[in-house]
Amino acid sequence: MILRALRSCYSVLLLLAAWELFARSGMVPRTLLPPVSLVLQRTAIALATDTFVADLATTLFRLLAGLALAVGLGIALGVISAQTRAGRAIFEPLVRVLGPLPKIALFPVLLLTLGFDNTPRIVLVLIDAIFPVMLAAHYAARAVDEKLIWSARAAGTSPTGCVLRVILPAAMPQILTGIRVAAVIACVVVFLSEMVQPGDGLGDQMIRAARAFRSVDMFVPIVVISGLGFILDTLLALVRRRALGWAG
Amino acid sequence: MIRFGPLIVLAALLALWQAAGMAMRVETLPTPLAVLPELWALFASGEIWGDLRASLYRLAAGFVLALATGVPLGILCGRSAAVRGFVSPLLALFYPVPKAALIPILMLWLGAGDLSKITIIYLSVTLPIVYHGQQGAAAVEEKLVWSARAMGTGRAGVLLRIILPASLPELLLGVRVAIVIGLIVMISSEMIVRQNGLGYDIFNAMDMAQYRLTYAVIVVVAVLGFVLDATFERLRRRLTFWAPERQDQLPTGA
Repeated sequence: MILRALRSCYSVLLLLAAWELFARSGMVPRTLLPPVSLVLQRTAIALATDTFVADLATTLFRLLAGLALAVGLGIALGVISAQTRAGRAIFEPLVRVLGPLPKIALFPVLLLTLGFDNTPRIVLVLIDAIFPVMLAAHYAARAVDEKLIWSARAAGTSPTGCVLRVILPAAMPQILTGIRVAAVIACVVVFLSEMVQPGDGLGDQMIRAARAFRSVDMFVPIVVISGLGFILDTLLALVRRRALGWAG
Repeated sequence: MIRFGPLIVLAALLALWQAAGMAMRVETLPTPLAVLPELWALFASGEIWGDLRASLYRLAAGFVLALATGVPLGILCGRSAAVRGFVSPLLALFYPVPKAALIPILMLWLGAGDLSKITIIYLSVTLPIVYHGQQGAAAVEEKLVWSARAMGTGRAGVLLRIILPASLPELLLGVRVAIVIGLIVMISSEMIVRQNGLGYDIFNAMDMAQYRLTYAVIVVVAVLGFVLDATFERLRRRLTFWAPERQDQLPTGA
């Protein structure tokens, strides 16, 4: 099984091998491109270092707090707005205006109004990660088979009960797909916020390494945050498959 | 109603901002009415044009390169299992990497000029183009291909006249996502490196405590995002008016 997995991603192995050989060939200075084995080794060391782990924890806290808010608010806003005609009428133009806005451009506003600590970064993650969740929830809630709702209503379920027990479960497959997208966006955004306005966190590690031209240490935070995104994405894919065996 | 929807929303957002500014009464949250003269001055004095041009040039250059390489690669992935087997794991590997964060490394390799910033935009927008191109090309109905082949169309003809048009709706969705991602990467890389461009302008104004100017540049960025997306959306609808509309594909990305 492991062999088959390795064979299916042979191009990745090929790329890593090419990186390693190229970096060790002497054609490029080590300071520009450290070998991948060195990067991974340094990553392992960093993950056992207190200061690095503290920065990782800071980033993880901001990331998960922002993502949790985005998931909660996104599902609520998406599903509720799908219930009324007015909500549906407002939803699309609102997303058309706010969707293409690069939310990172609002980061200075958040810094100015919310201070320079955790809050602006959590809010930045929230306003970036909420879109895929909200969109998925809204359109999935609108696509729920009306007959299901009618039946539930006829059987005496209240409108709120309908939302919670019929619409939400029926929309869950798409919502979970939206959450997967949101998780990766959250990882990217929290890291960028820490690079744009350094102070602490993994992004700050990257900026400090760049200013000191410690090239190996520049790769380490990137590897860690990408790994984090990959792990979150994989976990959510597992949850989706487990929870939604019925949805196919 | 649908046409004016965005305008109504925009007016409501501006009113909300005005109300918040008037309620807070702090220098760090000026009202839109106070920002307006600053915005006017920005364009009247010509101050903004240089940075706007610098930003848009890099975005356009990265985008053209991404279209030129990403579209053929995506379609190839959709049509050939061997190519897909090679490319998909690489896409999956790069998907969670924060592309804009690679800018310090690329600057080591390519220098501090435009090249590193164009490369970063190229890398990040190629991904959705290849991905959606592959989805589109893989979903082309085989009967169309067989019929064309049976009637004597060559392989190149099938590619150009059947597969490319049939994958266009999905491909253009990818381009729309790519536009939003390109903007994000453009702004954030300029915020990290701080040499020129709109992202630099925003933070430069903030560091000099010119808060109205900060907000004015943010407004420029917001308008740019909306105009680029809305313009492309019109083009997309015109090019693929025959395809069934997919509602759930509104612009987001990072």
